[in-house]
Amino acid sequence: MKRLLPVILILLIATIAVGQRKPPPGFKKKVRDQQSSFLDKQWWIGLKIGPNLTKATPDTRYSILTPTNYAQALTDKAYDGFKKLGSQATLEITFNYKGFGFSFQPTYRLSRFTYSNDFTWDNPENAGEMLQLKYEHEQKVDYADLPLIVKYDITGNTLRPYIQAGVFYSMLVNANKTVDISGTDTGSGGTNELSSEPVIVGAKDLFYKGYWGVIAGAGLHYNMGNVRLVLDASYRIGMSNITNTENRFTNDRLAGIGDAFDDMKIDNLVISVGCLFPMRFLSTSFKSIDR
Amino acid sequence: MKRILYFATCLLLLSACSNDSDPEADKANFVRIYDSDRYNTSYTPIDIKQTPDGGYLILASRRLDESNFPGTYILKVDDLGAFVSEQLVDEAYVNPIGQLIPLNESYFFFCMEEVNLQTQLVEINTDGEIIQMSNVGGTYPTAATLDGNNFLLLSYDNGNLQTVVSIVNPEGNTLQASAFSVGAGDAVEEPIINHFLRTGRQFPFQVGKTSGGRYFFNGFYNYTFSLVFTDLGSGGLGVVQGQQDDGGITYLAELPGNSFATARFNFGDNYFLPRATLGTTGISSSTDLGGFTLPELVDNAPVKILVSTIKDTDVIVYVSNTKAGQIGIYVYDLASGEFLGSKYLGFSNPYEIGAIINTADDGLAIAGTTYVTGRFPRITLFKISKEELGTIF
Repeated sequence: MKRLLPVILILLIATIAVGQRKPPPGFKKKVRDQQSSFLDKQWWIGLKIGPNLTKATPDTRYSILTPTNYAQALTDKAYDGFKKLGSQATLEITFNYKGFGFSFQPTYRLSRFTYSNDFTWDNPENAGEMLQLKYEHEQKVDYADLPLIVKYDITGNTLRPYIQAGVFYSMLVNANKTVDISGTDTGSGGTNELSSEPVIVGAKDLFYKGYWGVIAGAGLHYNMGNVRLVLDASYRIGMSNITNTENRFTNDRLAGIGDAFDDMKIDNLVISVGCLFPMRFLSTSFKSIDR
Repeated sequence: MKRILYFATCLLLLSACSNDSDPEADKANFVRIYDSDRYNTSYTPIDIKQTPDGGYLILASRRLDESNFPGTYILKVDDLGAFVSEQLVDEAYVNPIGQLIPLNESYFFFCMEEVNLQTQLVEINTDGEIIQMSNVGGTYPTAATLDGNNFLLLSYDNGNLQTVVSIVNPEGNTLQASAFSVGAGDAVEEPIINHFLRTGRQFPFQVGKTSGGRYFFNGFYNYTFSLVFTDLGSGGLGVVQGQQDDGGITYLAELPGNSFATARFNFGDNYFLPRATLGTTGISSSTDLGGFTLPELVDNAPVKILVSTIKDTDVIVYVSNTKAGQIGIYVYDLASGEFLGSKYLGFSNPYEIGAIINTADDGLAIAGTTYVTGRFPRITLFKISKEELGTIF
């Protein structure tokens, strides 16, 4: 429920915005003619691209390395929120009706998120015997997103801000994982700064085939000629676990370095720019975007 | 209203796509490495048993700073493999040996008193806590197993240069014992003592009893590491000789129908014999047994053999250490001895086999040693589900 609060808040703002909606300056109510009635409905299609940032939030934590003489919490992964840029490309298909837009936006998205572990082994009776290691894990996950979004144009000017909300289902396409290991070893007779080649593994089996979530966001439409430019920002809240619970321990290379995925959900901050084209015209000279 | 209903229905459908953890699946399949943050500690599992609560008891040896012998360590974990407790047994009690033997709601194992080398019988509860210790007498215990309501103990009597097979009751009293000469002179004793000090080859000592009532032991006899069948009396010996300390039987598991699944080593080479007929009387040589050669295994590899069931097929499971630093699992059909498939555990850091058991959920649990960061020997536990075993063949 906590994860849904932002969405509920945005929907509430949208409701208020609808109530406050004013007609554009100089607007005069007149009897709708056939043209106006026709243009109450419009299809838009276009492409959007942009960057995204990802934050993973663990639910149940798992660890292969199980302490016998130190706290289990010391094995917890430290997640970095919204640290690594990903990217996405979206095909937007929107049906507009009287200021509302019903949009299907299939997206190919690469998301990246990171976490790290730190471990220390030492000997209280011999300060010279110590090994500190840091494991930095980066996950690159490709998803095909299938979102259904409702948009609402707040004003009807050339520059048209809008708000949006919806749901999505993301299908796993591919995933891989890189682990960088670095550290300091003082047990070899001196201070030895350790650095090794990163461990790179295919990680598709470690992720579940898909997850779902909710979307809330806002954006701007800018009408230019017969096309519509879009600047879109949305926050996508993952509502289901992305980890494949059956395969959590099956990757021997990761098990060897003590890594097992937590149960986790991911949130995405997605920003896109793009261009939409109207699909319905009364005549070749008519500027659909003027409606 | 209709739209709201549609939306709610969609949300419910999406909820159905959720992928929550299943505690039963988490119990069925996991990997754990039990880590200490002490730089200079090391642990080596000897045996593992599943306790009635679904958890596991692991008997292990540990490095002692003040002794040439390995100390005794008992680890209790729950059914998810999570750490529950550990017992760092008093450093006076060293050289723990397998098996960890369940009897009357307790678990028993043998170890040795460091100063006088006397064998001790230790009784622990299902949480790994010591209930009592009994002095058994005799020296250098090497292997033990259950024999009815008593225990069979194989030990080495360094005073008389004899291998001794004893029947010991749960109170630690020796009911019967038979001794077998290892031969005269220091040369034959040297590899035995090096085994205990862990400065030399670790020999696969074993003791047991066949369904036909014959006792057997795998140990030193007459200058040679041999598999010896005996009635614990004066006669009726059957000896499968090795090659002094360079060859012999690695492990023996009895199969239905008076046959055995066994493995042998010979000057570093390793051979698996999923269905072997052994001479339980008279003298024979292990080198005549043949077997499947496995060059991927480390020299003189330790081998454990378990009769199990995978995909409704009775199978013989061999586990051993590969040169690649993995634990190899090799599955053979019990009826025909035909090879069915293999699986390898571990990567990155080296892994070594300790013990293997069948679990209550028809899976397997394998306790081994892994070297965390390539240097710290720690106990690892692989729990393999019935479903994952089914992918082997």
